[in-house]
Amino acid sequence: MKAEPKTILRFLLEYFDIVADLFETQSKEGIITYEVLNQITGKHGSDIKTQLLDYKILGAVNDNFEIRTVYYNLIEFVLSEFKPMLPETIEKYHVSIAELFRKIKENLNGDRVILNQRLAELSNEIRSFYEMVEKNTISLLNETRELKANVKKIDYREKIIRASRWIDEYIIPLNKILDINHVSSIANKLYDISEYSNKYRLNFDDENTRVQFEKLYFQLIQVNDNLLRQSKILTKELLPLIERIRTESTILSGWITFLKNPYKQKVPKIFEAKRTNIYSKNTFFNAAEFFEQFKNDSDVFFEEESNDTEKWIFDREHYTEKLKSNLPVANFFKWCNATLKDEYKKVEIEKFFALTSLAFDENLQLEYPAKAEYEKIKINDLTLTVPKITINNHGIS
Amino acid sequence: MEFPNHHRQIVEDLMSGKFILPQERAFEVLRENEDFYINFFKASFNYDLKVNQDFVYLVSDESNETLSRDICIFIALLSYELDRDGKNFLERIQFSEFEMEEIESYFTNSSYIDLILSNKQLKDVDSRKNFINTLNRRNIIEKTADNRFVFTSAHKFFMDFATDIVKFENAEKE
Repeated sequence: MKAEPKTILRFLLEYFDIVADLFETQSKEGIITYEVLNQITGKHGSDIKTQLLDYKILGAVNDNFEIRTVYYNLIEFVLSEFKPMLPETIEKYHVSIAELFRKIKENLNGDRVILNQRLAELSNEIRSFYEMVEKNTISLLNETRELKANVKKIDYREKIIRASRWIDEYIIPLNKILDINHVSSIANKLYDISEYSNKYRLNFDDENTRVQFEKLYFQLIQVNDNLLRQSKILTKELLPLIERIRTESTILSGWITFLKNPYKQKVPKIFEAKRTNIYSKNTFFNAAEFFEQFKNDSDVFFEEESNDTEKWIFDREHYTEKLKSNLPVANFFKWCNATLKDEYKKVEIEKFFALTSLAFDENLQLEYPAKAEYEKIKINDLTLTVPKITINNHGIS
Repeated sequence: MEFPNHHRQIVEDLMSGKFILPQERAFEVLRENEDFYINFFKASFNYDLKVNQDFVYLVSDESNETLSRDICIFIALLSYELDRDGKNFLERIQFSEFEMEEIESYFTNSSYIDLILSNKQLKDVDSRKNFINTLNRRNIIEKTADNRFVFTSAHKFFMDFATDIVKFENAEKE
């Protein structure tokens, strides 16, 4: 490296906007073409291509360029703009951590220098693993919140696809990695290492190694706590949020499809309310029959009858006296009929009913047979079925 | 023969097309006597009783298709307009109270105005008021005041339908 470290850092500080633009391009496109490099540097009015290459910030790939990994990670870190990584990428730590741990256990009493070196590397791998998990959680949260706000105005179907992809490909597998109860998870492996280092930090003959185990043990306490927190973020915050985006987008997508042609879609069955007391299958025919009786086309004339006879008025006192004089009466209704026949020869129904109202006289003592008996009385064309009522006394006896 | 408590109320409510909701006593009775009521409605009327954790309802061969369609249009439009307004439509429908004024604002300014005007139950203020009362009678909403209401858990019946549309479309594509 030709330049002094401070010169490079000052350069980065001075031209950070250009470097950030280059970083964004590489994040999106995967590569920076010569034209884009010219365009970005030109936009900021500085031709710094030579320094970018001299300071090894950019590397040439055929005719194109890319930011070197160490700078890419630095800028990614300072911008907090991480891209979600597939859990497969994180899973690789399972192999390296497990392998180092296995070798530490197998060669515990071997070469101390190698043992300490392995412990240091194990610590580095655990740190890298945790940083990657943290970056992934942050990036997934950012992406999810952006999807929720829908800044990029992507349509609902795309939202469903993205939400489903993140759940199935990123969040659930990542959660498995962090699930301490899952035997093959990295978190579970870290727990084993923690137990192991706890044992040897107190019980190992070489002090340097004891210190290494102690460092590892305290690092793991911290990492396990942090992983638990990340796991909680995933299950309590991220998963419900993204599940809701997926559900909301699915429902809205369904409604928009429905609204395109609402009268041609099948709709869910809801119960047709029944009012059985009023409505029946025969109602139509009953109603038709009812109205048919008024369908008489011929004119109907009514002739008012001339009423020459004097209006009959029921003389209650006269008939009460008559009834009293005829007591006891064996059959009240027959007596009514006979009395009217005596007086008028032809019995009219209204006179008959008027006379029967005497039965409601409170002073009359009505007697009924133990078993109801009925008799028929003929009044003109009308035959009445009446109960047998006997009257023996009038007044309180 | 002995019937479960609230039997008459349960039969009357279900036969008038109501959704029975978890906060009602009848709901608990229905859940406890689920098999009895499924058999009862099947044997007596040939109706199917549907019981889930959010509501209980009856299904018959004769369906009130017009009302069902209008409810779907109503909820679809409301969901769409809430989302367009930047609201979390599902959360609002699940947990918030609506004022008729807000509904009126969404419906009168909707880009689906042609669809609204052509629908007898949704075309104007008065129709919409009547429609809200119909939803209230069916327990799909609960009126909290003359001009305010909340959706009950029965709204999920229609949200499930919207989800099914997408599932059906995806299945067809596959």
